Amino acid sequence: MSVDIYWRIGTHGDQPSLRRRVASRGEWAPVVPGSLAPGVRDGRRDGYSYVEHMGDVARASEVSGFVGGLLPSFPNTDDPWATAATLARETTTYRFMIAFQPGFLHPVQAARMSASLQRATGGRVVYNVISGGGGPDQLWWGDKVAHDDRYARTSEFLDVLRGVWDGGPYDFEGRFYRVRGAGLPQELTGQPFPEICFSGSSKAAIDAAGRHADYYLSWLEPFHALSEKFDQVRANSDRTPKFAVRIDVVARETEEEAWEEIRRGWDNIDPTVLRGATGDSIGWQRSQSFVTGAINGHRDLEVTPNVWGGFHLLRGGPAFGLVGSYEQVAERLDELINLGVGAFILAGVPHLEEAYRVGENVLPLLRGHDLRVTSPLPEGTPS
Amino acid sequence: MTTFLITLPTRDNGGRGVRAELPGFVTDPRAPFGPFDHLLNAGRAAELAAFDGALLPFDPWGEESLVAAGSLLRQSRWLRVAAGFHPGVATPVYAAKVSASLQRFSGDRLDWRVVVDLDPEVARAQGDFLEGADRYARAEEFLTVARGVWTQEDYSYEGRFYQVLAGGFLSPLAGRPFPRVYLSGTSPQALELSARHADVHLFDPGDDFEGSGLRDVTYGLRLPVLVRDDDEEAWRAARRLWLRGGGTEDTLPELDPDTGLWNGFPGPGLVGSQESVAARIRDYVDRGIGAFVLEATPYVEETYRLGERLLPLLVKENAHVR
Repeated sequence: MSVDIYWRIGTHGDQPSLRRRVASRGEWAPVVPGSLAPGVRDGRRDGYSYVEHMGDVARASEVSGFVGGLLPSFPNTDDPWATAATLARETTTYRFMIAFQPGFLHPVQAARMSASLQRATGGRVVYNVISGGGGPDQLWWGDKVAHDDRYARTSEFLDVLRGVWDGGPYDFEGRFYRVRGAGLPQELTGQPFPEICFSGSSKAAIDAAGRHADYYLSWLEPFHALSEKFDQVRANSDRTPKFAVRIDVVARETEEEAWEEIRRGWDNIDPTVLRGATGDSIGWQRSQSFVTGAINGHRDLEVTPNVWGGFHLLRGGPAFGLVGSYEQVAERLDELINLGVGAFILAGVPHLEEAYRVGENVLPLLRGHDLRVTSPLPEGTPS
Repeated sequence: MTTFLITLPTRDNGGRGVRAELPGFVTDPRAPFGPFDHLLNAGRAAELAAFDGALLPFDPWGEESLVAAGSLLRQSRWLRVAAGFHPGVATPVYAAKVSASLQRFSGDRLDWRVVVDLDPEVARAQGDFLEGADRYARAEEFLTVARGVWTQEDYSYEGRFYQVLAGGFLSPLAGRPFPRVYLSGTSPQALELSARHADVHLFDPGDDFEGSGLRDVTYGLRLPVLVRDDDEEAWRAARRLWLRGGGTEDTLPELDPDTGLWNGFPGPGLVGSQESVAARIRDYVDRGIGAFVLEATPYVEETYRLGERLLPLLVKENAHVR
C-alpha cells in the first residue's frame, strides 16, 4: 500500500524558527519592516495578504514531494475552505486537507462546497474532520454540544453529506440534522467523495471513526501508546482502518544540530507556560501523561529516542514530534509505517523552509516495510 | 537611498538542482516541476521579503533572462527585475523592442544588466567574436541606439556596428521609462562607458570603487552573504558550504582580516550574524555604495531569511522600507 505524506500549511501565521515564539509572517504580530505577507514598502503595507505565503508553502511542499497539505482550523486561524479555494488554482497535484468541525456548517452546504472544490481542483480535497478539542474554544465557536454528543453529530453530518453527494433526493431525520428532498445539483455530482481523516482519542471518537474514517488520524504519541490506540480502533472498526499521524519534525544533518535547535527555543521559553494548557480534549490529556519526572532541561521531554514532547512550548499545537538527524527521523517514520501508519502529516517551523528540507533530505531516505526494525516494538506488531 | 537586490537562479533547475526521487511506496503524484516553477517561488520570496529588485544574471548555461524576467514580472507587483544579457544577443533595436513590451506588461519594472566583458570563449559560443576594447565601443553604440529608438521618432544612426534609418518607436510602444542600466568592469573603457550610460555601476567587494572617479552613477556592489542568528553559527554554515562545494578542510579560506571578507563564495563576500553583516553593509553605504546585489543560496530560504532578519536592520539605509 502506498504511503501518503502530507505537509501542513500554518493558517495562523508563522515564526522564522522555533527559537523564538514571535510570528513574522501574516498579521498575527505587528506589521513592521521584516514582516512578510503583508510586508512594508514605502512605509506602507505592500498589499499582500497571508494567503500569498500559504501559497508559497503549498508550492514548496508540492515540489518537495508532499501529496498535499493540512489546513488547520482554530479560532484565530484563516479559514481552510477559503484558503483551499484561493490556492486551488495555484497548484497542480497538491491535495488540500481541510480541517473543519461538523456542526459549524450545514452538511448540505459542506457537500456543495466540497463538490465545487473537487471540480476546481480535479478531486484534490481531503477532509480532516475534527469533533472539537473542547474547553473555551468550543464556546468561542458558539458550540454548546457536549463532548460525546459531538461525535454523534459528526456521524450524522457525514451521513447527510454522503446522502446528498450523488444528487438525491435524500431524506434524513436525525437528532441534529433534518433534510427532505435534498441532493447536490446535477452539475456538481459525480465527483470523487473526499477521503476522510478522522481525529479524536476518546472512546466516542474511536466508535465514530470506525464507521466513517478512511484514516484514523492521531497526534504523535510515544510509539507504544500509539500502537495501543490503533489496536483499539481496529477492534472498534467494521472495516480495515488506515492510520495517519500528524508529526512535527526537527530534522538536521546531524542529531546534535537538531537538538541545538530545540535548546535555543527552550532557552527562550517563559517558565510560566510549562504545563499550562486546558480543555476536555482526551488527546491533550493523554499527551500530558507521557511525560513523567522532573523537567530540568529540554532533553527530559525526550520520552523515547527522538520522540520529544515539548513542541507545544515552542509554537502553538500538539506536544510530540521527532527530533534528530535526517536518518533518525526517517527511521522513526519507517517504524511508524511498520505499526500500520499509511499517511503522515509532517510539519516544521518555518513551514516553507522546512518543507524543502524535509522533502529533499528525509523523504528520500524512507524504506517503508522492509526496514530492519531498530527499536523495540510491541510483540505482534502488524507490518 | 540604498536599494537591495537579490540574485535569482536561471540555471540548475531554478537553483534547486535535481529533484530527489521518492521511494516507490510513497505516493508521488507530482507533475514535472520545471525551472520556471522554482523561479516563481524564488521570485515570490523576493517580492514578499520586500527586496527592491531581483537580478537574473546572463548565464549561457541557464534560462534566457529576458524570458525569465517576463515571467517573474508578471508574478510580482513591486519587484524590479534586472535581466542580464550582452550586446551580441540582438540588435539594439530588437532588444529595445522586447523591453518596451515588458515595460508595458509590468508597469515599467524591467532593468537591464548589460554584460560587456564576457569571457571570449563564452562569447564565441554565442556567435560573438568581438574582443578587447571593441566590445566597449560596440556597447556604447548599442546603448546609444537602444535609447535613440526608445525616445525619438524618425531616429537614424550610422555607426561602426549599427545602422538605423528612420527608426524609433511609436505609440503605444513609445513613452515608457527606459530600463535602468547596470554595467560593470574596472578597466578605463568600462568606466568611460558607465559614465555615459550606466544608472548603476556594479563593483565587487575587493574593488577600489572609491577611486573609480565615476560621477552621477550609483555605485552598486555584488555581495555574496551568509547570514545566521549568530557569528558562530554563520561560520559553521560557511564551512559546510565550502565542503559541500568540493573544498577540503585544508583549503578552507579564513576571514581576510584586512577586508573583513570571506573568499569561500564564488566571489568575496560577508559571513556573520545579521547584526555584523548589517554593520558591514552600513560601512559600505558610508563609503558610497547605493545598491547591493546580494547573493545567497538556497534561494527561497535565504531570501526569506534576509528579508526577515537582515533588511529590517538596514531600514534607515533602504528608502523603500521605513
